[in-house]
Amino acid sequence: MKIDRRLLLNFDWTLFGMVLFISFIGVLNIFSTGYSLADARQTPLYVKQLQWLTIGLLAMFLAFSVDYRFIARHAYVIYGISIALLLAVFLFGTAVKGSQRWINLWGFSFQPSELMKLTLIPVLARYFDEHRLPHPHRLRELIVPFLIVFLPFAIILRQPDLGTALMLLIISVSMAFFVGVRWKSVLVAAMGVLSLLPLAWFFLKDYQKQRILTFLNPDQDPLGTGYHILQSMIAVGSGGFFGKGFLKGTQTQLKFLPEQQTDFIFSVFAEEWGFLGGLILVLIFLVLVLWGVKIARNARDYVGMLIALGIAMLIFWEVFINIGMVLGILPVVGIPLPFFSYGGSAMVVMMAAMGLLLNISVRRYILQP
Amino acid sequence: MANENNRLNSHDSGKYRQRFRLLLILVVCSLSVLVARMWYLQIIKGSELYQRSESNSIRNRTIRAVRGVVLDTNRQVLVDNQAAFDILFHPQRAGNVRDVTQRFASLCSERSLPYPREILEIRKTRSVEPIRIERNISREKLALVEAHTLELPGMVSEVVPVRQYLQGEAMAHVIGYMGEVGPEDLARAGTRYSSGDMVGKFGIERQFDQPLRGTNGAETVVVNVAGKEMSILGRVSPVAGNNVVLTIDAALQEAAWNALGGRPGSVAALDPRDGSVLALVSSPSFDPNLFRGGISSGDWKKLSRNPAHPLENRAVSGQYPPGSTYKLVVAAAALEEGLITPATTFHCPGHFTLGNRTFRCWNQKGHGNVSLHRAMVQSCDVYFYNLGKLLGVDKIAHYARAFGFGDLTGIDLPREKSGLIPTREWKVSRFKQPWLPGETISIAIGQGYNTVTPLQLALAYGALANGGTVWRPRVVRQIEAIDGQVIQTFAPEKKGSLPLSDKNRILLRDALWGVVNEAGGTGYAARRKEADVAGKTGTAQVVGNPAAGKARSLSARFRDHALFVCFAPHKQPEIVVAVIAENAGHGGSAAAPVARQVIDAYFAQKSKAAKEQVTRLDPPSRSGQAPETTAAQPVRREDP
Repeated sequence: MKIDRRLLLNFDWTLFGMVLFISFIGVLNIFSTGYSLADARQTPLYVKQLQWLTIGLLAMFLAFSVDYRFIARHAYVIYGISIALLLAVFLFGTAVKGSQRWINLWGFSFQPSELMKLTLIPVLARYFDEHRLPHPHRLRELIVPFLIVFLPFAIILRQPDLGTALMLLIISVSMAFFVGVRWKSVLVAAMGVLSLLPLAWFFLKDYQKQRILTFLNPDQDPLGTGYHILQSMIAVGSGGFFGKGFLKGTQTQLKFLPEQQTDFIFSVFAEEWGFLGGLILVLIFLVLVLWGVKIARNARDYVGMLIALGIAMLIFWEVFINIGMVLGILPVVGIPLPFFSYGGSAMVVMMAAMGLLLNISVRRYILQP
Repeated sequence: MANENNRLNSHDSGKYRQRFRLLLILVVCSLSVLVARMWYLQIIKGSELYQRSESNSIRNRTIRAVRGVVLDTNRQVLVDNQAAFDILFHPQRAGNVRDVTQRFASLCSERSLPYPREILEIRKTRSVEPIRIERNISREKLALVEAHTLELPGMVSEVVPVRQYLQGEAMAHVIGYMGEVGPEDLARAGTRYSSGDMVGKFGIERQFDQPLRGTNGAETVVVNVAGKEMSILGRVSPVAGNNVVLTIDAALQEAAWNALGGRPGSVAALDPRDGSVLALVSSPSFDPNLFRGGISSGDWKKLSRNPAHPLENRAVSGQYPPGSTYKLVVAAAALEEGLITPATTFHCPGHFTLGNRTFRCWNQKGHGNVSLHRAMVQSCDVYFYNLGKLLGVDKIAHYARAFGFGDLTGIDLPREKSGLIPTREWKVSRFKQPWLPGETISIAIGQGYNTVTPLQLALAYGALANGGTVWRPRVVRQIEAIDGQVIQTFAPEKKGSLPLSDKNRILLRDALWGVVNEAGGTGYAARRKEADVAGKTGTAQVVGNPAAGKARSLSARFRDHALFVCFAPHKQPEIVVAVIAENAGHGGSAAAPVARQVIDAYFAQKSKAAKEQVTRLDPPSRSGQAPETTAAQPVRREDP
């Protein structure tokens, strides 16, 4: 295989550096969460996260090296595989805390719903690329993409994993908006969704309803879900401007902060590094998202632009929803903080997404048939 | 430049410029909201939330001070501390509070062990403080909790000291008992109780709660979310409570308790030389050990609703008509007022008439012509009716007060009552009615509105016996630190003195000796060869009793109270004993033998102690065994 010199020349080191930087801070942060109650018999989580990071870099390399147009061409195949994996979860999956999200692949526990978040982006990009319209999309012109999204959405909702399912919806809507939707259609769709909401309420699991109710009225249940939010806000707030210092966050170290390696990882960081640390982290994420948007703008073709945009939106929404939730301004839905939350699948998938971004970035000048 | 390159491509991103701009605004604004929120939480609310994170993890834990013990005058331990087990429940450690409490309840009921119903009401709270669900649990329940640790997360047993009342019922009213602090205790001035504390509720435990309880220490600890202690930030050691040494002699107390034999009544024995209480018995009694670790509501109901009032300390708060024991006061008043001389006689035909009312003498045959001495010895009522008529109620009241009646004695025990000494003024203000002359006649033999407590009786007779000093009685001799160092001594305290000339005092004292020792004396049953006892009987009509003569046919509730007050030896008195046996009939037959047993026990013990003194000074012939025998003896402390 002939390696194009331009792949090295135009490699986006800034993006790569940012991703590595965030990931390493993330590992340090996970080290802090496991610091006080270290169990010598188990591999510490930060070591596992490092291993996942390594695998993630591999995935990044794979996603980078194959031309993204090749990926776009085979997007439906990848989509099919992802759906198959999601269905496999139902058949062979393992349940953790009442929801069945994981399957075992060669000894690794893997979460296909995380993969689906990424898969959806090239599929939609491919569809919109193939169905370019001179006018904004009408509702009936969006039926196919809607079905593409609805299938995994429904499966993931059944697991149940409201956060990831909503994420699929949000990404797709973001992409659709960017492609262009008629305002009338938006209104009709919005009204349709609103009228379906009460119906949807019946399909929500009790804990999901509880979370929403708690968000609407946190004082109602200060010890259940509200307790998590409260402890998270205490953790963040008690960090003050400079933070309590690395490994010195009492909320974290004494385990008052729940789910601290996963959904509430930002609270750990904010407690120990304060407003200053949190601000810097949010700024890096901002730069990362804007960098993705810039790659989209500069992409060589339509499909590349849409993929890059979708990935940038994926990072943006995950960051916004996760941190918003941790800070108590959004309801608690299980959405991880990219590169930061502990979790193998999310890490590998996010790295692959970055690989795809780098892919689009590096191939912006390369003309191919 | 970049745009130019793009134009080479198959799409025109310029068309999307507007949308990219919107996107940029969306992203920047959204993330700015996050930063603003962080600013709000970390900067504006920062210190408040910091405090909350501190209070999450920092706990002040009390280290309970060991409560002092109570010793008798011979340093015999009366109240000790013993290890017991409480069950604590940490709702935070229980996954599901309801599950755990219900499992506990069903485990208990399977073994038919009682459990507090309130536990089913426990809900998850934010507090990491454990809830003390049961105190002083049985061995079976301890075994149950220990064996089911895994099924009962959050439920643990804790070793706590509880009081052990070694004297049981015999001394229950003096020593008292403890209970969980109530609003009334929290309101008491000068105390620093916190809810959940055990405090003295009655008796010495209450009166001397402060010195006994010591000062709790505290530890500031860092706990994690499970309430597990991670580190200690600081510690203030507790200061153990002080020991309380009583003036009471446990052996004499026991003797007095046994002498009363469970009949309702009371015995108060004092040292007339300084007012120290030697024994103070109230019957019926209760087992103070029921109270350790909180009394069950069933037991409490049984005690508090018992019509015989076992919780009342009759010796200090039982108010009885004094009956003939009051004649001492009337005689003293008449003598001192110069209304009679020892030679003055009155004729007793067996009854006394005032206006249209007839008052009977207990001896219906009459005593004939009686002078003071015989009137006292035989307790002639008619003689005292005459004195009453001469004196008037206010004069009697004046002397009664001088003897210490109608007023709190000031004993160092809670819930003392003052009794009642009526005057004209009192009746007007109490009933809005004038005093009737006939009422004075009843007062003269200790009937009517008069009431006294057994302790007051002992004190008054003690004052006569000791040369005229009315002491403030005391139960506690001193307070000592745990190492034996004396912290506070309670010296004898004079409360007043009798307005009685020595001549008159000795006259009365000898009359009291006659009551016990002369033929025909009503207190003959208290006579003993070894020590000359002087005393006075009393038979007090229970209010509403229409005819004293028919006492036997009346239901027990209306039978006369038997009283006897005495001291011995009559010239150098060391002990004064007042006995009241409720509804027991005649003082001479029912109360005097009880007093006699107490006095017997006192002198038997004294001579035994004296012999020991001798053996100790004079080592036994087999010298090798000497230390053993002496070590086994109780150490008697005798004031020089």
